[in-house]
Amino acid sequence: MLKVLLAIVTGLVGAALLHLIIILALPSFSERDAYSKVLGEGQPFRFHALGGRKDATGLAKEDPFLEVAVCAFDLTEAPVRLSAGSGVPFWSLATFDAASNETFSINDRTSAGGMLDVIVATPVQATALRKAMPSSLMQSIIVETAEPQGYAVLRVLSPQRSFRPMATQFLAEADCGQMAWQ
Amino acid sequence: MPACAAAWTRTRQNPELCGDCVDKAGPARCACGTFACPKIGQPPFSRKANNANAATKQQIGFHRLFRLPLLVALSLAIAFGLGIWSTLVALEATIGFGAIRLGAWEAFPQAQTADADPYAKAHRANGGRLLLGSAEGLRFYAKVDDEGQPLSGNCTYTVSGQTPPTRLWTLFAEINGLPPRVDSPRPMAINSRSVLRRADGTFAISVSATAEPGNWLAVEGGRPFRLVLTLLDTPTAGSSGLIDLTMPKLERTGCGNA
Repeated sequence: MLKVLLAIVTGLVGAALLHLIIILALPSFSERDAYSKVLGEGQPFRFHALGGRKDATGLAKEDPFLEVAVCAFDLTEAPVRLSAGSGVPFWSLATFDAASNETFSINDRTSAGGMLDVIVATPVQATALRKAMPSSLMQSIIVETAEPQGYAVLRVLSPQRSFRPMATQFLAEADCGQMAWQ
Repeated sequence: MPACAAAWTRTRQNPELCGDCVDKAGPARCACGTFACPKIGQPPFSRKANNANAATKQQIGFHRLFRLPLLVALSLAIAFGLGIWSTLVALEATIGFGAIRLGAWEAFPQAQTADADPYAKAHRANGGRLLLGSAEGLRFYAKVDDEGQPLSGNCTYTVSGQTPPTRLWTLFAEINGLPPRVDSPRPMAINSRSVLRRADGTFAISVSATAEPGNWLAVEGGRPFRLVLTLLDTPTAGSSGLIDLTMPKLERTGCGNA
């Protein structure tokens, strides 16, 4: 009886350990995380608009009024410039690293002139950019991230159905390309 | 009949005989356990009793042989079963520890940041949802009404009052974690631009499966749901608790056809 009790206690301790190990290790081996799904959407350095129903990778719009586009990027070779126009009631952008930690977020009120113009760069690239800043980039917001891989999520509000074409067009014109670099 | 000096064991040579029941007076003069040795020359036991005895002994052997592996298997079963089950339950039940709770509403302003706790990180890695950045907004969820009763499509609820300071908000009901269809003919979602307000800026929204006057948010009848209130561009997202947050009330007004 004592041995059975010991076996049960050992089992409980093992269960607690396993619980902790899974919880702590899950972010590093999960293939269902947001970054993997964004990568699965298609080519990097392009915004991919999401549909209302879950697509093959499992991503979908999570709010009926918010049109969403995602873009995976890699800063190893060059910084990435995220840009879009204006003319929608509300837009917001958030960038994340590969572990889905937020690195930067902005909305139309906090940007310069309501235009989206953000450069995501590694600290080395950012320093080089600031040293010799072309005049075309003076308005851009430079975001430094230590992690080269990541993704951006661009959301646009379409409060009524009639706003939908504008929102869709805004997302279609949004750019997530690599900068011409050195 | 006196008890035997030694415990009875079946002889291997002649299992039919109760030869081991020995005391000073010789065989067959003592009782061994529950079995009394019969007189010499008579059949010792009924075949059944003998067999039962043999089976018990085999069981003891079996038990001795497999006791350790059984205990190890028990430990492993508990460790893996309980470990995996508790992890799944934890991932399902909570988004993490850093929740702000205001009445029935719950939000996780840190869930998308590097400061999120391990449970929040595991949850978001498993769920793979696109979370709102802190400059984008904050999403509040309600699974229960103000009295703590789970939200059900059989009942009618009223969401009334006002939201915390925010530029825009949207409200809809999620079923099984899925947002409603956008092109549904019924008003499955409502936002701050389309809501009808009272003169003082507050609003009252009826959440019901059947049509209601005023602001009506349609839900699926008979199915449990979760209300999602998204505040867009709100100082609440970066709140350090300094802003007085008032969330709309979520009251049940009736159930069934009554």
